[in-house]
Amino acid sequence: MYQVEASKALLKPRLWRSRTARLRVPRNVIMLGAVSLLTDISSEMVATVLPMYLIFSLGASPLVFGAIDGTYRGAAALVQVLSGFTSDRWRRHKEVAGLGYGLSALGKVALVAAGNTVGGIGAIVAVDRVGKGIRTAPRDALISLSSAKDKLATSFGVHRAMDSVGAMLGPLIAFGILFLAPARFDAVFVVSTLFAVLGLAVLILNVEGKPRRAPREGAPPQLRAALALLKDRSFAPLLLAAAGLSIASVSDALIYVGLQRTIDFEPAVFPLLYVMTAISFMALAIPVGQLADRVGKVPVLLAGHALLFIVYAVLLMTSVGYLALAVCLVALGGYFAATEGVMTALAGAVLPERLQASGIGILITVVSLGRLVSSVAFGALWFAIGLQSAVLVFGASLALAMALSAPLLLRAQRTAADG
Amino acid sequence: MDSRGGKITVALVVACVLFGGGYVVYAALGPSQTTTDASPTAAAVPADAAVMVRAVDPSSPALNGGVFVVEDGKVRRRSKDLACERVYYAAGGGICMGVAPSGVDYTASVFDADYQPIHSMRLTGLPSRARVSADGRYGAMTVFVSGDAYLSSPTAFSTRTYLLDMKSGEQIEQLEQFDVEKDGAPFDAVDFNFWGITFDPTDSDRFFATLGTGDHHYLVEGSVEGREVKVLRDGVECPSLSPDGKQIAFKSRIEDTNRWRLHVLDVATLADHPVAEKRSIDDQAEWLDDDTLVYSDGENVYTVPAGGSGEAALLIRDATSPVALRN
Repeated sequence: MYQVEASKALLKPRLWRSRTARLRVPRNVIMLGAVSLLTDISSEMVATVLPMYLIFSLGASPLVFGAIDGTYRGAAALVQVLSGFTSDRWRRHKEVAGLGYGLSALGKVALVAAGNTVGGIGAIVAVDRVGKGIRTAPRDALISLSSAKDKLATSFGVHRAMDSVGAMLGPLIAFGILFLAPARFDAVFVVSTLFAVLGLAVLILNVEGKPRRAPREGAPPQLRAALALLKDRSFAPLLLAAAGLSIASVSDALIYVGLQRTIDFEPAVFPLLYVMTAISFMALAIPVGQLADRVGKVPVLLAGHALLFIVYAVLLMTSVGYLALAVCLVALGGYFAATEGVMTALAGAVLPERLQASGIGILITVVSLGRLVSSVAFGALWFAIGLQSAVLVFGASLALAMALSAPLLLRAQRTAADG
Repeated sequence: MDSRGGKITVALVVACVLFGGGYVVYAALGPSQTTTDASPTAAAVPADAAVMVRAVDPSSPALNGGVFVVEDGKVRRRSKDLACERVYYAAGGGICMGVAPSGVDYTASVFDADYQPIHSMRLTGLPSRARVSADGRYGAMTVFVSGDAYLSSPTAFSTRTYLLDMKSGEQIEQLEQFDVEKDGAPFDAVDFNFWGITFDPTDSDRFFATLGTGDHHYLVEGSVEGREVKVLRDGVECPSLSPDGKQIAFKSRIEDTNRWRLHVLDVATLADHPVAEKRSIDDQAEWLDDDTLVYSDGENVYTVPAGGSGEAALLIRDATSPVALRN
């Protein structure tokens, strides 16, 4: 096994080996990172200006926008599981992911061509969300299948860091264009379309659809096999732990609302909260991934969740200075860096090669359902017993969830190492 | 495959940079505007009342419009530079909220009796409501905050309401940070939204506003200095106190819709009645005098008797955000 991999590595073009040697990240992961970076620039450009475009150019009321925004958020969940299984079944992860990226790119083209009615934009937003739902699981499966098992967390760290660079650049580029060409939303949409097309092109032209760990033999997996993952002796504990941890974690949106309520800061500072968190995430994603590959994914995952205690502590403080706020946001970025990507990497290590996308699709859906439960529960608690008590309850739940999930995660990791 | 794919990718990048850059340059050289040249016209002459409005271009209602005063049937622009989506003025100080030149950002300015801006600030959302207390001490602004991808659930849209010190023009408080009391007990929820402040004409520390949470839209009464509000009753949006402080005009939501009827309630009893305007109105009404409301449907300004009788009458064409100027 080792020799096969080594000889294959020798066959790779020298250019890419030297460029990626320091991080030892497979070229395919870098390329998938580039695809995500370009696609995120494209969608964040639109997301940044869409509400203003709707209201300013189309005369929609903010309430209409709220409806457009909220309607399709749930649609992605079911699509993820289906697209994950389909791409495993057909062994065409790249093509299914390409369909998702293609749909989003098509949505941007439609925005340029026909985005002048509120209903039309609603449809385009829906298509974009479905596209995102389709591409996530097969894309993550490709990242996983492109990486050696002991380098998975680094690969996901690199991908997530590149992804978030795109999410940061998108709004900057949109505002840059509007600075040069005030109120010309069409220019933003055209440039966004170009980024989406470039992302799709990089996927088609530069991403290897059958990477090193991709299954090449054996019968295509049946739906029964994918469903059996729910009872799998290593994947089921991981799912259970992921569900528990996501339910016990307060969503970032609510953390921001809480901070806003607790801290007396200038409204202009508010957008900076996201920026600081994103920068922290971006900076930490790769080193934390490398750390997880070195010391184990489970301890890093648990340490990442422990960072939430810092965030909760700041929410409990009666007066918060800018230093405490900065510490809180860096911790929040660290929490993101050490959890989502590392959890997916752990799944990638645990799952059999032929069911990577199915498993990751299930994991994403379980985690997003967990987050939904968490948000509803936190909102209800906030209403019933107040913000501070709700935070205390969630702090205690998180400690409990961590204690319960540690053995589950370790069992998942151990069986993965055995297999 | 690698080198061929790489070459095609590089060629595509070059083509996209050229085309995208070219399009941005073309757009930058093309026309773009955030302010309309429209001006309002007087349709009726109200008895001894001057009304300040903001001009609106009905085909592009979100463009900033000039600030005009309509008096004795004559329309006069107040300042060449002042243009907004929402305006208010009282006792020598005003608030002008509007879209920034970029078209995606919003700004507000506090201006003085000469219509000169004394302070400007970036708004975190779309201009919604503006008020200044009758003594010119406090100002209030409500903005819609939507489209924050981060603020997905549990609130589809949210509002923020800021209190301003009109002397310095600077923000002093954010209503979201006030303590709330309902039925004698502290009251809090994640989806609290405040909007539409109105100040007591005789005591600017006292104000009324709407607190939205879940399906409820509570009328709250508060104190600026005390940093607290208490819930009075449900079903009241965008309250507006009459000059004598005895009545509140407000938007009464038609159940499960985003449509509203204008109602007036008695502050002492909290009982309310509809006015004669039959259309849905999304505005914080203003009082022309103790018996007459003045408001906009987004295109024109109308009056209607507050008592519930009579009918709505067109006052000013192509104008919104009416302000009754009192001396």
